[in-house]
Amino acid sequence: MNRFSLLVGLFLLLAAGAVSAQSTLVFGQSGLPVSLDSADAQDGNSLLVARQITERLVDMAPGSSDLVAGLATSWSASKDSTVWTFSLRAGVNFHDGTPFNAEAVKFNFDRWNDPSHPYHLREEGKNYVPWSDFVFGGFLNEGSPLLEVRVVDDLTVEFHMDKPLGLFPNMLAAIYFQIDSPAAVMAAGADYGTPGVGSVGTGPFKFVEWREGELVSLERNDDYWGEVAASERLVIRGIQDPTARLAELRAGAIDIAIQLAPGDLPIVEGDPNLETALPDSELNVGYLSFHQGNPPFDNPLVREAVAYAIDRELIIDAFYEGLGTVAQDFLPPQMWGHSESAVARPYNPERAKVLLREAGFADGFDTELWFMPVSRPYFPSPEPIATAMATFLADVGINAELKTIDWATYLQQYRQGAFPMYMLGWNADYADPDNFLFTFFGPSAVDTQGWDDPQTRELLGFAREASDPVDRQELYAKVQTRVTEHVPRVPIAHNRSLTAIRTNVEGVIPSPVSPSEIPLHLVSKQ
Amino acid sequence: MTAFVVRRLAGLVPVLFGVSLLIFFITRIIPGDPAIAMLGERGSEQTLERLREELGLNRPLFFDATGFRTSGRLVQLFDSQYFAYMKGLVRGDLGRSVFTRVDVSESLRKRFPATFELTLVAMFFAMVLGIPAGVWAALRRGTIVDTSVMLLALSGVSFPVFWLAIMLIYLFAVTLGWLPPSGRLDVSTQLQPLTGLYVLDGVLRGQWAASWDAIKHLILPGIALGTIPLAIVVRMTRSSMLEVLGQDYVRTARAKGLEERSVVNKHALRNALLPVVTVVGLSFGTLLSGAVLTETVFSWPGIGRWVFDAIAARDYPIIQGGVIFVALIFVLVNALVDFSYALIDPRIQYG
Amino acid sequence: MREVRTHEKGQSLFQDALKRFFRNPTGLLGLAIISFFVIASLLAPILRPYDARRDRDLRARLNPPSAEHIFGTDELGRDLFVRVWHGGRISLRVGLTAVVLALVVGTFLGLVAGFFGGWLDMFVTWLVDILLAFPGILLAIAIVATLGPSLRNALIAISVTQIPIYVRITRAVTLSLRESEYVQAAHALGSRPGRIIFIHLLPNGLAPLIVQLTLSIGVAVLDVAALGFLGLGAQPPDPEWGVMIRDGFRQFLRAPWMSIFPGLAIFFSVVGFNLLGDAIRDVIDPRLKNV
Repeated sequence: MNRFSLLVGLFLLLAAGAVSAQSTLVFGQSGLPVSLDSADAQDGNSLLVARQITERLVDMAPGSSDLVAGLATSWSASKDSTVWTFSLRAGVNFHDGTPFNAEAVKFNFDRWNDPSHPYHLREEGKNYVPWSDFVFGGFLNEGSPLLEVRVVDDLTVEFHMDKPLGLFPNMLAAIYFQIDSPAAVMAAGADYGTPGVGSVGTGPFKFVEWREGELVSLERNDDYWGEVAASERLVIRGIQDPTARLAELRAGAIDIAIQLAPGDLPIVEGDPNLETALPDSELNVGYLSFHQGNPPFDNPLVREAVAYAIDRELIIDAFYEGLGTVAQDFLPPQMWGHSESAVARPYNPERAKVLLREAGFADGFDTELWFMPVSRPYFPSPEPIATAMATFLADVGINAELKTIDWATYLQQYRQGAFPMYMLGWNADYADPDNFLFTFFGPSAVDTQGWDDPQTRELLGFAREASDPVDRQELYAKVQTRVTEHVPRVPIAHNRSLTAIRTNVEGVIPSPVSPSEIPLHLVSKQ
Repeated sequence: MTAFVVRRLAGLVPVLFGVSLLIFFITRIIPGDPAIAMLGERGSEQTLERLREELGLNRPLFFDATGFRTSGRLVQLFDSQYFAYMKGLVRGDLGRSVFTRVDVSESLRKRFPATFELTLVAMFFAMVLGIPAGVWAALRRGTIVDTSVMLLALSGVSFPVFWLAIMLIYLFAVTLGWLPPSGRLDVSTQLQPLTGLYVLDGVLRGQWAASWDAIKHLILPGIALGTIPLAIVVRMTRSSMLEVLGQDYVRTARAKGLEERSVVNKHALRNALLPVVTVVGLSFGTLLSGAVLTETVFSWPGIGRWVFDAIAARDYPIIQGGVIFVALIFVLVNALVDFSYALIDPRIQYG
Repeated sequence: MREVRTHEKGQSLFQDALKRFFRNPTGLLGLAIISFFVIASLLAPILRPYDARRDRDLRARLNPPSAEHIFGTDELGRDLFVRVWHGGRISLRVGLTAVVLALVVGTFLGLVAGFFGGWLDMFVTWLVDILLAFPGILLAIAIVATLGPSLRNALIAISVTQIPIYVRITRAVTLSLRESEYVQAAHALGSRPGRIIFIHLLPNGLAPLIVQLTLSIGVAVLDVAALGFLGLGAQPPDPEWGVMIRDGFRQFLRAPWMSIFPGLAIFFSVVGFNLLGDAIRDVIDPRLKNV
């Protein structure tokens, strides 16, 4: 025992001289990346790290969804919007010293878009799902609107489309389409973006090390074309539980913690060493959905009764701590195209009971309510929210058993109509109503909710093709009215995710589009 | 002895085969689809189908009877998920994670030291406190000391580990701020891993401060994980001591008028420790899995938490590789304990 | 003749054991704790009926312990005292059922393996070895992941992980008695295997089985809570203790009482079963004393 305490004493003595001279910024999120190859990644944890290393042609201004110049300085469309020309930033180099130019842009777009490109690497496991599924709708000859990328000169690129695509710059501003160094991609092949390799871009930070399960470490790019980062070193830690993340922040082991539980807001506010960094708004929506193939939810009266039965004001009050707002429909109020005329049903349990009686369920019925096993910005703590909703349903006679299953199975089974009622939501990829309404009520509504409404689908199709914003706005308003009337889903909440920082940290600008869009090179630490 | 060792090790083969079969079976009948887990809420049916094809999820589970019949080639019969998996296993190739595409054996090598270090600390904690407490209780048999020590030991096996972990964090990390709440090292501590056991790495690289930082991070999870083995060690030491103290040679030593201290240290304790060491060895494997809960609460980057997350994400290669690895370590440690026991205690017959 | 004598001997042994048990203070303490939990659980629905599906008071959220709510309230404003009280019903019921299920299945397999021997024995031993190669809670996690998270599936999973120990105990007893005089005699007299197993073998294995049973309940209660904590066991709004600690962990900086009280409830009930188990072992099988 004596020898042991001597050893401990020795350590204590030596520990005193361990202060690191470097300025290190430590960022805490819910997990480490899955991949740093941004076009092949879909989760916020990957994309936040990737965006510090690599950059897009079109960027979003910090703290806003407005488009600004990224690696491209300007862009313009041909008269019919089928050819887009981008001018690139001059004098930019990748971290490996190779130049950023038109060839590099072509290489990246071709490897994403063209399955026959030698570095598409589909067989080896690359998927580029954001390209094929969320944004462009397919690869070359499989539904992609992009036919060809043409190098005009060293700093000019043309994109040739098969049909007018007015939203092209907005789509390129989605966080996925970051330009990687062709030399690095060719050297690593399918391993590009994995922990042993990392990624190589033009951004304010360079990849140093990714210690699995522990941290990712980046260092400042002193040759950055924009504002050089304030911190010499940036470390990203993955701490799954939001309360544990806050505990680390309080202990000073991390400087910034994102996606904290709203319930912990009073803790942050009560701690003199901490402050919040909140966006004014965030483009997301959380909802309660039904599968209309399952009786009794095929009956609109029953769906309406559910909408009346839940006191959403009280739920937002209790579980969002003033960060969230009650959702009136499926577009966030700050999104253009949001219609004031679509207003959700207020809390009215008596009305709900009447509707149930009319529908032939005077004594109520038994059903299931599935809640998500993971937290998302729109439902920061799904479990207690679901529990509260179930008690409101019980008040009007709907006896909903609460159920959950792992996230993978959850996503599989709601599509198959296995869940009578379920919670889900959406975060924007880019700031356009199409990204919300077409996703929810377009052709996919038939699969995901069993809601077959040709009129809504037709309106959404028109809105996609229309070029005049006024026409589009009018079409989206019609969609919102129709959806409100038929209640295929009940909108619950829009939320702002809670980011907290230590008071010696400055320059954290949360984004309205996604919590992963924080430009960390602008952050400084005293 | 050699024959015994060979027989004991050979006996592990059918068990490990059974484990691999069972875990393959479990991963395949788990509802949920890795393709969907990968694509999230946004994947289209077409992409899903393509991905399933690429992951080999569309291949038959055990035998491709249709392929055999149409092609007439016997090889075709074994073109199935199970045989592909067994082939890899035999070659020591555990495949790649469905999500991060990281090589599973590589990840195991990187993550195992974290769990191993935590387990060692937990066992160290259990023995350093447990053995003296057990001896003390045995020497004061039937007194209030004995009863109290035994009651405390019994309490030790009655704690929910995850609850204890939360309480330790709340008290020592959040309220008092004495120790870090989670993780293995402070990020300002820059230590290039060598063995992956950070305390040792610090010593080897001469970075004493890093070792001390690693120790600070190990204390709370070590206590949480070590409580149950501590209680077991106390009980085992006490009963083993009592038995030895009743033996003839101890009575003889006492009769010779040897000092009590010397009787206890030289004669009794040495002999009483054998079963204690056995129990500690046997609880090693249990600790590995107990780490699932501890690692969850402390964000510890080890294999327990990793396998648990893989189960939720349907990452087949990690589940299979991780579970088989843990089972392998577990049965090997148990065999090792048997061997050392047989070596030390000549009364054991190798039959 | 033999049976009658065994019976008489058993009777006196039993009285003797009972006498020794009541002289053991820690055993009595265990008995008292368990009785307290059992009685509280039985009385709960009578004294304080509770419907978890409707319980909600969103205006009284996260209140610290007070005269009105002595354990405080949780995220939904539910009274934690009532929930911890009713949670005991779930933990005790599931713990006991899981262990009894394991006992029945394990004993059956052990008897069959030990009695018939041969390939059957080898097969059962192989299965048991496979189950034992999964350390601790890992097997239970894998099973629940396969079956889907629910209280019933958690019960099954915990039960499966406990089967091996009963197989081993019963098989060992059966093997040692199979060759004994009176079993051989029964064979010779033409008794059917079933009769031999239930009349001659089973009663002799009872002592170690009862000891194991009591100790296993504590382990099962801990495992139920662990699975609940990991989200694999009981589901909300059931007031299961592990689930309540999980809820509490989400709020442990703001409302530590949410996890403290359910944790203490688990702790005390498990202590009770362990004290009782130790005492029963000392009483039934003095050779094992102090282990």
